[in-house]
Amino acid sequence: MKKNHKNKFKTPEGYFDNFNERLIDKIIKEDSLIPKGDGFAVPKDYFESFNTKISNKVNQEQPRVIHLKPYKKYYYAAASIAAILLFSFWFSQYNQTQLGFDDLASAELDAYFEKTDLDFSSYELAEVINLDEVSILDITEIDNIQESKMILEYLDDNIDEIEDLNLDYDEFE
Amino acid sequence: MIAEETLVHELKDKETQAKAFEVLVNTYKERLYWHIRRIVLKHDDADDVLQNTFIKVYKSIEKFKGESKLYSWMYRIATNESLTFLKQKQKKAGISNQEMQEHLLSRLESDVYFDGDEIQLKLQRALATLPEKQKLVFNMKYFQEMKYDDIAEVLETSVGGLKASYHLAVKKIETYLRAD
Repeated sequence: MKKNHKNKFKTPEGYFDNFNERLIDKIIKEDSLIPKGDGFAVPKDYFESFNTKISNKVNQEQPRVIHLKPYKKYYYAAASIAAILLFSFWFSQYNQTQLGFDDLASAELDAYFEKTDLDFSSYELAEVINLDEVSILDITEIDNIQESKMILEYLDDNIDEIEDLNLDYDEFE
Repeated sequence: MIAEETLVHELKDKETQAKAFEVLVNTYKERLYWHIRRIVLKHDDADDVLQNTFIKVYKSIEKFKGESKLYSWMYRIATNESLTFLKQKQKKAGISNQEMQEHLLSRLESDVYFDGDEIQLKLQRALATLPEKQKLVFNMKYFQEMKYDDIAEVLETSVGGLKASYHLAVKKIETYLRAD
């Protein structure tokens, strides 16, 4: 009968590679005066109950991550609404505090024009005054046709170019 | 035992995540606890850090690319969490690293979850005198009996350097224990 000499046993990979080294470390440890144990202990059933503890903790952590997002959205929405309301409030306040020309009392205007030397030239005045709405009678205090004719004659004699007056043609017809 | 690749795949899949996480906790909780406990010394602190470690692993499993072993990656997180925990505590108390070590040792003597005798307490005093890396290497090699290759992957350093660190740590501790 033929014998099978092939070894059927196996060893972990690399087992013999570090055997000498591990043996020396073991001998050092055996001969050493360093204690084999370090004296640490754990409460009874600590490792058995650890799984439950860690599962609870992981589950507690998860909803925090999930629920934070919708809150975040609400925070942004609330912040946007607050910003709009704040801006509207500020804008309405701003508009209320802006004084217009109409807010000035006419007495104040009169006082201003009287006390202030505006020093407008006739050209500047002609540029500013809208003559469409002003008749020649508004600025000349004339109350009869005779006086009006005299003025027109004066202007005919002394003004070379009628355009210098910046008047529309129909004003002196 | 479930293959590491399968476990990682299941941890990343929302459908199988809860079950895979339970397997992960069952597989590594004790090993990681002892690793953390030897750094922070007190049981309550070790419990806090262990929970934080698993939560961090759970939250960042998507970032795990499989460039290192899951086991080494988790050990690295546990180491960082433990050292950060101690540094925060030290900063909060406004004390030096040396004062912090003394504070931890004085608490250890009254810790109900420390059954150590005089020589084991002396060992902790000796460990407190070592540089951080030597202390880590010693604990991982002497008490956890981890392979140098695995320690090197966790601490991201060379095997040669680790061996030197370990033997130096052993010599220093023995000298300390022989004294008096």
